[in-house]
Amino acid sequence: MSDPIYTEIIIDEARHPQNEGTLENPDISQHDSNPMCGDSITLQMNVTDDSINDIKWSGEGCTICKACTSVLTQLIKGKNIDFAKNMKKEEILSELGLEYLAKQSPVRIKCALLSMKALKLGLYSYLAKKLAGSLSLDNLKEDAANLY
Amino acid sequence: MQSTELSIENIRKDFPILKRKVRDNKPLVYLDNASTTQKPKQVIDALTNYYSNYNANIHRSVYSIAEEATEAYEKVRDKVAKFLNISKREEIIFVRGTTEGINLVAYAWGRKYIKEGDIIVTTEYEHHSNIVPWQLLVKEKGAKLEYIEINDNGELILDQLDKYLATGKVKLVVFSLMSNVLGTISDAEKIISKCHEAGVKTLVDAAQAVPHMSVDVAKLGCDFFAFSAHKMLGPTGIGVLWVRKSVLETMDPFHGGGDMIREVHKYETTWNDLPYKFEAGTPNIADVIGFGSAIDYLSQLGMETVRKHEMELTQYALDKMSQIKGIVIYGPKDVSKRGGVISFNFHDVHPHDVATIIDREGIAIRSGHHCAQVLMEKLDVAATNRASFYIYNTKQDVDKLIQSLEKVSELFKL
Repeated sequence: MSDPIYTEIIIDEARHPQNEGTLENPDISQHDSNPMCGDSITLQMNVTDDSINDIKWSGEGCTICKACTSVLTQLIKGKNIDFAKNMKKEEILSELGLEYLAKQSPVRIKCALLSMKALKLGLYSYLAKKLAGSLSLDNLKEDAANLY
Repeated sequence: MQSTELSIENIRKDFPILKRKVRDNKPLVYLDNASTTQKPKQVIDALTNYYSNYNANIHRSVYSIAEEATEAYEKVRDKVAKFLNISKREEIIFVRGTTEGINLVAYAWGRKYIKEGDIIVTTEYEHHSNIVPWQLLVKEKGAKLEYIEINDNGELILDQLDKYLATGKVKLVVFSLMSNVLGTISDAEKIISKCHEAGVKTLVDAAQAVPHMSVDVAKLGCDFFAFSAHKMLGPTGIGVLWVRKSVLETMDPFHGGGDMIREVHKYETTWNDLPYKFEAGTPNIADVIGFGSAIDYLSQLGMETVRKHEMELTQYALDKMSQIKGIVIYGPKDVSKRGGVISFNFHDVHPHDVATIIDREGIAIRSGHHCAQVLMEKLDVAATNRASFYIYNTKQDVDKLIQSLEKVSELFKL
């Protein structure tokens, strides 16, 4: 039996997600949740020389949320902060064959992008702190808002 | 003449939406009635008729259609009174819904009477609308919010109420007459009599109860009582707050504006009579009139008959569902103690995934935290699936729900 959203790739990815867990003293720790459904995740990252050398996630989520979070952490791990900061939602969605999710279910797209929202919020907060306010909260809010 | 059986086939003909197909041409199986119910053509026609034939503002002008509109609007107040056995029509305030009703009490009564150190008691199975207004109030006043917990059967542990009442600090006890997640029907008689003895006021959130069972406000004996029209065949954006007159008379206004005044001078205003003192501005005239048709519709069926139908359907669903491997059902198992709301989880599949998959079969159920995150924490789940029934639902609807779960099993290889 086939389903346009619940493919084997997604169900397997959610069943066996990568990088689940917590870091001991993370440089970045960002929680976010989806008030509609109760998806709730925390992303943690360690940064060395502008590179995200470790990333873990923890929390509760549906299949779509978990699969996307797993893929996101795999794409980010070991990459430069700029790469993560400029990452587009399409990159995550296409990895899982969810390019049409926004069309299929405008509600569920929020599940898919929750971890990316947390990633961006976390990175911007980290950078804003580091650059002593040259990046404003407004920028990150706008960036997060443009996700959907 | 009321019969004791619902003629579901005839009822279904009254609901235009039940004819529509969704997704790939699947008939709509609507099982999210605890969220909002569908509307019969009688209600839809009442709205159209008002806007087409006598749309005018009320309580003001003397021309014919304004008088017709005023009469139609005020007649609904009498219908509400009769429906719930309320003797004083001036105790009935039209509000936007249960949420606004509760907020009105928190603002106009709570801010006046709740003081530092006072306690407000709520329960673990409340909707956010019967938690958050009280959190705001106790924060402002330096008062405290306490919770009556639930047992493993999803029923309130009422001994805990005694403990709070014994402190002598409780000023208000609030609870829902029927839980929107577990379906549990609260033992209102016991709660209210305990509170009466202690001289404590009670607020009943009846959003889930009034649409599904016969309720007698006079017999109940509470002080505040709120419910919404849209969960009982009526339009959205309209609800009722009932307040005992002796209490209502001591309350300051909620909103200031037109219609709620007697005389306005530059620096001084006197208030209109009850209930108009609490209905500022042009009210939701059309939807009140539509609500009147919804009350007529339910009255004609008879609330005892409605309740009987839902008990049968709930029993049928509980029996069938409990045979399915991997289903966990929350709330009381005894249908005489619960309404037609069944919350469940299916294996470890997230409710959002379940709801999305069965939506392809045309089945509409709610998934999520149901605005009851305190309860979700208690149950130690992030979310549940919820199927909830009404007068137009059939055993076939339940069968379809169960069949659709098989698709979830297949996809997730359960």
